Amino acid sequence: MEALRSVSLQVPRGVIFGLLGPNGAGKSTLVKILMSIVRPTRCVGTMLGEPVGHQPTLAKVGYLPEHARFPEYLKGGEVIRYVAGLAGVPRAKARVRSVELLEMVGMQDWGGRKMGSYSKGMKQRIGIAQALVNDPEIVFLDEPTDGVDPKGRLEMRRVLQTMRDDGKTVFINSHLLGELEMICDSVAIMDKGEIVRQGSISELTEKSQRYEIRTQGGIPVDLQQRLIDDGVEIAGDVLSVYQRDPVLMQPILDALRADGVIMVEMREVRQSLEGLFMEATAGGEPSESGGEEEKR
Amino acid sequence: MRQIITIIWDSYRLLAAKKLFWVSLALSTLVALIYASIGFGPDGVSVLFGAYEWENETFNSQNPLMEYLYLLLFTNVVVPFWLGWFALLLALISVCSVFPHFLQNGSIDVAISKPISRVTLFVTKYLSSLLVVVIQVLVFCLIVFLAIGLRLDSWNVTIFWAVPLIVFVFSLIFSVSVLMAVWTRSTMLSLLVALLVWGISWGSQVSESLIYKAAYVVPAQGIEMDLGTGEAKQTREPKEVNADLARLHRVIKWVEAPLPKTRDAIYLLKKKITINGRNLTQTTGFMDSGADDFDQSVSAADEDYQNRHSEAYIIGTSLAFELVVISLACFSFVRKDY
Repeated sequence: MEALRSVSLQVPRGVIFGLLGPNGAGKSTLVKILMSIVRPTRCVGTMLGEPVGHQPTLAKVGYLPEHARFPEYLKGGEVIRYVAGLAGVPRAKARVRSVELLEMVGMQDWGGRKMGSYSKGMKQRIGIAQALVNDPEIVFLDEPTDGVDPKGRLEMRRVLQTMRDDGKTVFINSHLLGELEMICDSVAIMDKGEIVRQGSISELTEKSQRYEIRTQGGIPVDLQQRLIDDGVEIAGDVLSVYQRDPVLMQPILDALRADGVIMVEMREVRQSLEGLFMEATAGGEPSESGGEEEKR
Repeated sequence: MRQIITIIWDSYRLLAAKKLFWVSLALSTLVALIYASIGFGPDGVSVLFGAYEWENETFNSQNPLMEYLYLLLFTNVVVPFWLGWFALLLALISVCSVFPHFLQNGSIDVAISKPISRVTLFVTKYLSSLLVVVIQVLVFCLIVFLAIGLRLDSWNVTIFWAVPLIVFVFSLIFSVSVLMAVWTRSTMLSLLVALLVWGISWGSQVSESLIYKAAYVVPAQGIEMDLGTGEAKQTREPKEVNADLARLHRVIKWVEAPLPKTRDAIYLLKKKITINGRNLTQTTGFMDSGADDFDQSVSAADEDYQNRHSEAYIIGTSLAFELVVISLACFSFVRKDY
């Protein structure tokens, strides 16, 4: 069975990159290939300048797997030090780093307790801390906010943004589109083992950018015809104008005013990540908002 | 090196977290202390540090063979029944879940995404899992060593041969458990199959030893058996080797050759423990100078029986078995996608 097909992906250094896709799209498999956990039939590519599968490079990589399990008999701090040991981080450095990371993920008061006594969200925080213990140049986080409460998510976003500001690369696999939209510089959408869209969020949603004008009362028929001829869509009392430049909106507004049309509001509309995702994966009906977000 | 130390240390932490390990260690210590509580006075033997005493003509401090008899109690009773059976079984139950848990999704991913080769990871994890037996047998031998030293003023370090031998025997069974764990990730299946292989191996070795005894040792003891009627007669004249049983023995030995020699390897301890340069299987050397020719020949037959397999055969065939099984497990572990 083919899990991935002709995947071509480029992630620049120093960005937060999000990989989206429905369940079973192959996101985790792709990350596992990069982490040498799964062997691909064929893979050509580099990570941090070395071929994918180059073992010493993994010392500069952090990883939080989906549904991560850590030894229940270890304490939170011990898990971080255990992973540090596997990554070859010297013992003294690992000790200092584990204290820093516990504080960073808000677990400084819990680091001395066993993993078995932690909630799901706390385990996930430790999971993120262990992924950063070797001070990685790139970190792969597979569903990192799974089970984390809103406060924890906020803290996590802060941590990831700090990493990006430090020049590190963050690669996130997630199905929480809202989360990704808030922090990702660049995204790729994967469906059925293939990358179907890739780019920065603004680039990807640019095509759908338009202005909507809501009017009160009717628009004279001859004006309606003129607007339709100019490419404006009219549905009831809403006019959709596919323009990105607000300057080009002025003649339309002038024409409406000249005919005495009352305008209630004008807004800039751009497709949201959710809408883009739905469109790209043909994964069903968009949400109530129509998968769009607006800027007034 | 840092990674290897980390895995070994983690194995110790895992053991320390298991109640069964501590129960097993406590029981081993108790058995060793019971053995150590056996004392010898001029007239007899005492147990539980003198709580109970019996007069005995053979077991007393006057007997020059007392150290030999005391050590035989260790090699023929304590080691095969406690260390070779119950303690190994408890150890196997303690660690049979190590690999299935290690191989669970979400757990194995973290370990194999680190800059350490899968072969190193597997071999270190396998060897460090043997710690459970190393610790138990080491504690046990230390108590026995002190007991013999303090009681008989003989500081016999050859007792510590029990550590590598019993760890080796455990590794033979554990290798099967690991192979099943890598293939199925099931704790129950890996335990059951390991026990099955252990049972088959034990059964074949017992059969081989009984047939050898019937073919060679029994005739040497002047016992003539009629296998048809089941009648037996004993004289003080050695009889001819039973040719049919000798043939059967050769077949059994051929059948058991590829299997691990768990029982034989434990009895190998009698060859490794020495008193004044003589091992415990050299029974003729421990006999009274007054023994007649027949007694000498019976003793020689027993000595031949105990030495019928060379160390190279026992260790070599067992090691070959282990290498095949563990290589297969390692190959599967390395090739697998998680």
